[in-house]
Amino acid sequence: MEDAGVSTGVTKTPAEFLKAIKGKAVLVKLNSGVDYRGILACLDGYMNIAMEQTEVGDWDMRSWEEYVNGQLKNKYGDAFIRGNNVLYISAINKT
Amino acid sequence: MADDGETATVKEPLDLIRLSLDERIYVKLRGERELRGRLHAYDQHLNMILGEVEETLTTVEIDDETYEEIIKTQKRVIPFLFVRGDGVILVSPPLRS
Amino acid sequence: MIAPKKGNYQGNPSHLLPSELIDRCIGSRMWVIMKGDKELVGTLRGFDVYVNMVLEDVTEIEDTPEGKKLTKLDQILLNGNNIAVLVPGGKPDFL
Repeated sequence: MEDAGVSTGVTKTPAEFLKAIKGKAVLVKLNSGVDYRGILACLDGYMNIAMEQTEVGDWDMRSWEEYVNGQLKNKYGDAFIRGNNVLYISAINKT
Repeated sequence: MADDGETATVKEPLDLIRLSLDERIYVKLRGERELRGRLHAYDQHLNMILGEVEETLTTVEIDDETYEEIIKTQKRVIPFLFVRGDGVILVSPPLRS
Repeated sequence: MIAPKKGNYQGNPSHLLPSELIDRCIGSRMWVIMKGDKELVGTLRGFDVYVNMVLEDVTEIEDTPEGKKLTKLDQILLNGNNIAVLVPGGKPDFL
């Protein structure tokens, strides 16, 4: 991958990771077990996350999907997630 | 982050909330609580003042005999309230056009 | 990088700060036990003052009523907020 991308053996701080995944497809998992999948608009140092509906994209991920126990429960255009609920943010492949 | 006034861009997550001022928003809270109301004010903790609020409480009970899950929702209307930010999970503004 | 300590630190073990220990683990496997019934194992790429961590080749281990549920993830940013214990070296096979 590009810029601060995944080059094995290289140190990558959380700040670098956050920079690298902006605009990418991500999986956000909350402590409660709820998952969100979509394109990351922006985030801050508290891991607050802005999820925005995207108009572009080669893939059916223009809105955000909320999964509870693996089942699709909701779709959001825009949404804000408060960072204290976030367990992890993971880059995901478009498969 | 610099405060760049009333621009309609989302440079940091809280901008999304700023753009929702005076709009009806959806708030998901801990403890299976949801609020729908008009956002009057907020701060960096996501403490919020909401007006014309509909609160939805969802509870799951297990039937003693069939062990089926019974999902119950209770709703009530509250004219005006303060939300403490630490209970907030998600805020969804109305669709922007 | 942390400057190497002279010899082996057989004196006061607290000459090694906790954060220095984690820094020395960058590039190696790490077993993370969260508050609650969740664990993760992955290669540590970096961390910050909150011990938010970038992990690679991650296996998330969840205890569910149906048994252990494993999830594989390429790269994640793990929120440091709910971490209970870090075990350098990864999770031993016998556990």
